[in-house]
Amino acid sequence: MLNIVARNRVLMLLAVMAAACLALGFAAPGYLSAATASVILSNSLVLLLISLGTMLVILTRNIDVSSGSILGLSAATLGMSLNAGVSLPLAIALCVLTGMAAGALNGLLVAYLRIPSIVATLGTLGLYRGIMLIQTGGRWIEDLPQNLKALAGGIGFGISILTVTVLGLFILAWIFLRRTRFGRYFYAVGDNRDAAHHLGVPVRRVQFTAFVASGACAAIAGLIFAAQIGFIPNQAGNGVELKAIAVNVLGGVSLLGGSGSVAGVFTAAIFLTSIDSALVFLKIPAFWNDFIAGAILLIVLLLDGRIRLLIDRRIRARRYAVHARTPQGGGATGKIADKALLAEASR
Amino acid sequence: MTADLAAGSAAQLTNIWKSYGPVPVLKGVSLALQQGEVHALLGGNGAGKSTLMKIMSGLVSANAGSIEINGVPLPHASPALAQQLGLYLVPQEAHILGNQSVLENICLGLRPSPRALRKRVEQLIAELAVTLDLDAQAATLEIAERQIVEILRGLVREARVLILDEPTSALTPFEVHALFQRVRKLQAQGVGIFFISHKLREIREICGTISVLRDGAVVLSGPLDTYSDAEIIDAMSRVTTGAAPTGAPAKRSGTGAGPVRLSVRKLSGEGFRDISLEVRAGEVLGLAGVVGAGRTEFSETLFGLRRQSGGSVALDGVELANRSPRRCIDAGLVYLPEDRQQNGLFLDAPLYWNTSSYLIHRLPFLLRPGHERSLFDKFRQSMGIKCTGPGQSAKALSGGNQQKVLMSKCLSAAPKVLVLDEPTRGVDVAARNDIYALIRKLAADGVAVILISSDFDEIELLADRVVVMAFGQLGGELTENISVDAIARLAFGAGEQAHA
Repeated sequence: MLNIVARNRVLMLLAVMAAACLALGFAAPGYLSAATASVILSNSLVLLLISLGTMLVILTRNIDVSSGSILGLSAATLGMSLNAGVSLPLAIALCVLTGMAAGALNGLLVAYLRIPSIVATLGTLGLYRGIMLIQTGGRWIEDLPQNLKALAGGIGFGISILTVTVLGLFILAWIFLRRTRFGRYFYAVGDNRDAAHHLGVPVRRVQFTAFVASGACAAIAGLIFAAQIGFIPNQAGNGVELKAIAVNVLGGVSLLGGSGSVAGVFTAAIFLTSIDSALVFLKIPAFWNDFIAGAILLIVLLLDGRIRLLIDRRIRARRYAVHARTPQGGGATGKIADKALLAEASR
Repeated sequence: MTADLAAGSAAQLTNIWKSYGPVPVLKGVSLALQQGEVHALLGGNGAGKSTLMKIMSGLVSANAGSIEINGVPLPHASPALAQQLGLYLVPQEAHILGNQSVLENICLGLRPSPRALRKRVEQLIAELAVTLDLDAQAATLEIAERQIVEILRGLVREARVLILDEPTSALTPFEVHALFQRVRKLQAQGVGIFFISHKLREIREICGTISVLRDGAVVLSGPLDTYSDAEIIDAMSRVTTGAAPTGAPAKRSGTGAGPVRLSVRKLSGEGFRDISLEVRAGEVLGLAGVVGAGRTEFSETLFGLRRQSGGSVALDGVELANRSPRRCIDAGLVYLPEDRQQNGLFLDAPLYWNTSSYLIHRLPFLLRPGHERSLFDKFRQSMGIKCTGPGQSAKALSGGNQQKVLMSKCLSAAPKVLVLDEPTRGVDVAARNDIYALIRKLAADGVAVILISSDFDEIELLADRVVVMAFGQLGGELTENISVDAIARLAFGAGEQAHA
């Protein structure tokens, strides 16, 4: 039982979420509805994408704190080119390219120029925000064309084309990480960089790719942001990178790299967003959002840590029980039995 | 086909130069490996062995020179390319991806999926005569099992050139025997093998050719039969360091050791139980056993790193209850850990920080670096630690010198009882002799020494008395006629014949 809980963060989150939803359903009738689900989903799109990009970077044992600024910069690119009369598809392409270029610079700094990722992306966090402010002169970008805002409109079932895009990207990422060789390299690089290098994994290319992908995700998040809100404030995306890191941690992605799943990130992002909407429903002032989100994050992590500790202790006890049981003259057979038991204990 | 292969060249290194900064590490090294040849490669600390191996396997690029694998030149440094050409380096410290399964660890970087390779891997495991759970998480593997994973990586890649970097340093004699059988089989298939080791006995058993590196140059190369052990050791170490070969340090002449220093009564804990032993001042007690016998667990429990489940420990007749490392250090019981990289040294810190790290809680609030430096310099002189100065970081030193720094850290605490866990693992012959001499000198000064080692030769050479642990329990004690055979018999349980 314990093993199932510890191995499966997604299940645990789903259970907590289901319990919370049920409780809310009782406390505030009307919360449990398709409309709420649709609102939560569309509200979480930006966080979902930023978290996905951040996850790719964290898997390779780096971190990206510049994604909020990349979001802002690419959204500004989008808005300014649209307002300059560029067609929507071209503007979207420019927006994504901006994000990828920003990610590529991060990747260049970290993978090839060997700057620690936290330092490099802290630097670009300021840099990209600065470029955005200089470009826009610090003004908000308003009067975005209707066809952009239309992207956020429903296409049935309370779902927009943006939602479909995000879900599609998640499925793509899932296939990429689980089913492709290059995806497996992401885990390998984060788990043990030297080992990966030694086994011929192109370590730097993997790290670089992760940053570019993160930049692209942030850019698409910028597009969603602009379409949903209808204008682009000069602080667009500010602080979302830290929230995304929290989502990753909550979703079971190890900050030390090498482990985590797309499903975990997805569930955790939805979970955090649903807290926000629940508070609205309960008419709790919005000032409480951050406090409650932080407290829940800590509780989940604390619980998780205790469970892991318990399991470790059990494995150890079982491993060492092997010695206590071994008969006196246990020669070769004893040794083999020993190994089998060890293997069993570590399972 | 085999005869055909045996003639060809497996690897050819020509005039390799490499320097890190202004210091040349390799000065024009040329080596040839024939197919089906097991080629021993020896060298002291800092001789350039590991750099050479890294260059050959594409991990590091050379400044000049050329590398050919199976007749194809390696155009630039790339481990992937070297592996494609058929070369695999089995490193001394296994590279493990802890979060992944054992199977994924073995197959990472290969084109076919792990699932497709499973059969092949299982077959190799059967041929190697080892047990390994392919679905276990790799982080749970023991050191010896990790090494087997590395060897399997090489085998599953069907390497034509294998470099084994001290492959036996973590294996039990039984596993060494199995490994050697596998090496012979590979040899018969025409695989060329570079065999790096510090153990001449193993080299004699398995190798046909030998090359010795010293100060970045090949100083001896040819068929192994034509050289005596003395010649090899001489070529490897002496001329430059100037010291005379110490050989086997004399054991204590008088058997009447001093008073009992440490007495352990029925100590039990994780991985061992009911261990009782005594060590006297001026005595070297060998604690022998194979990997996994529970020796490290015992000594870590002794030093307060793990919780005991029963028994008692007394130092100079005073019971040491609720042991913690600091309490043990203050009482005069000091432990030198087995894994110097992980548990022994602060690798990024300057050397003098390392030396005084066991004493740090006794130093004044405001540290006096001058004193610490001079403390280090004292040990540097007495042990012959090769370094640029007390401010150098520990990771820059070679294995033997790191081990000496670790020793000096233990000695700085002025121990009454010193527990040495594998003090010569990964240490070259010259530094090993220095450490042996030091151990004898400590005993002569009245320190009670417990020497833990899987190398039974070492125990035979140094110990006044031997206790053997097997399967977590005391397997027996030897007070006279200490011999490798007698130790091995006890270590494997009386029923089994030792393969050593």
